[in-house]
Amino acid sequence: MAAVSMVHIQDPRVRWCVRAARVLRIMPAAEWNAAPPVDVLAALGPMPRGGARTRRVVVVEAADRRETALLAAGAIDVGDVDAAAVLPLPELLAGATPQIAAIIVAPDASLSLLVELAAVITPVPWPVPAACARGW
Amino acid sequence: MRSLVPITIDTTWVAVDMATVREIGGPLTWIALPTASAALPGVAAWRGRAVAVADLAAVLGAGERLAAKTGRVRTLYVQHGASMLAVPVDTVREPLVVADGEIRPPRIRNEAFCTGEVEVEGHTTLVVDLGVLLDAYRPAAAGVAH
Repeated sequence: MAAVSMVHIQDPRVRWCVRAARVLRIMPAAEWNAAPPVDVLAALGPMPRGGARTRRVVVVEAADRRETALLAAGAIDVGDVDAAAVLPLPELLAGATPQIAAIIVAPDASLSLLVELAAVITPVPWPVPAACARGW
Repeated sequence: MRSLVPITIDTTWVAVDMATVREIGGPLTWIALPTASAALPGVAAWRGRAVAVADLAAVLGAGERLAAKTGRVRTLYVQHGASMLAVPVDTVREPLVVADGEIRPPRIRNEAFCTGEVEVEGHTTLVVDLGVLLDAYRPAAAGVAH
């Protein structure tokens, strides 16, 4: 099978992933000092509470070749995906959801979202307000 | 004559054109999309392709909206033009053929996608044109926000 290497994030809101070839590094969120990181699932609800001190960012090369940090709320792992399991969004939804390129069907039939990095450029407020950080 | 497939969502009875139904399946595994609408909240995999999920409960105000980890026990896969929709429902009843004269103008709803009413098993059943519904709820293309 043709395989595509992905970095998977087990976000409690929805599992999502990015192509591993586009990932530059994974690091603690607290050590990221550049532009505000992006919550790619912000539209699905607030960042899950808890784990702020251990939260990490996935640093990718965005469309403008600058480094962009994606907030990762949940466990991160790297694994290969069968290319045939990567299903592009239907035309009906693709135009309205440019930040998602496809869904990925896991062997157990569960689904995850493949993030389209070219469309992920909207930052979340950063640094995290102290009141929120206490609750995480 | 028209062939219809009656379905139920909570206590609401709806019928759709049999010609649009490609398959009837079990519970749907689907995933929510950011920026999706209540009518089209996510996407599912079907026969090697991704298809939009339509939440008729949200459109009709009938029962609870579809939630990511709870579903309905049946799924209707319907086609309108090039678009496929996965429509989770509670039950699918036996298809029926009705004479055009048996379909009366809709009284309980007045949206364009409600094309008539028919009696099925003693229930007033709304005849829904999923194509018109899809056109009404088709999401607008998003701009990339900076």
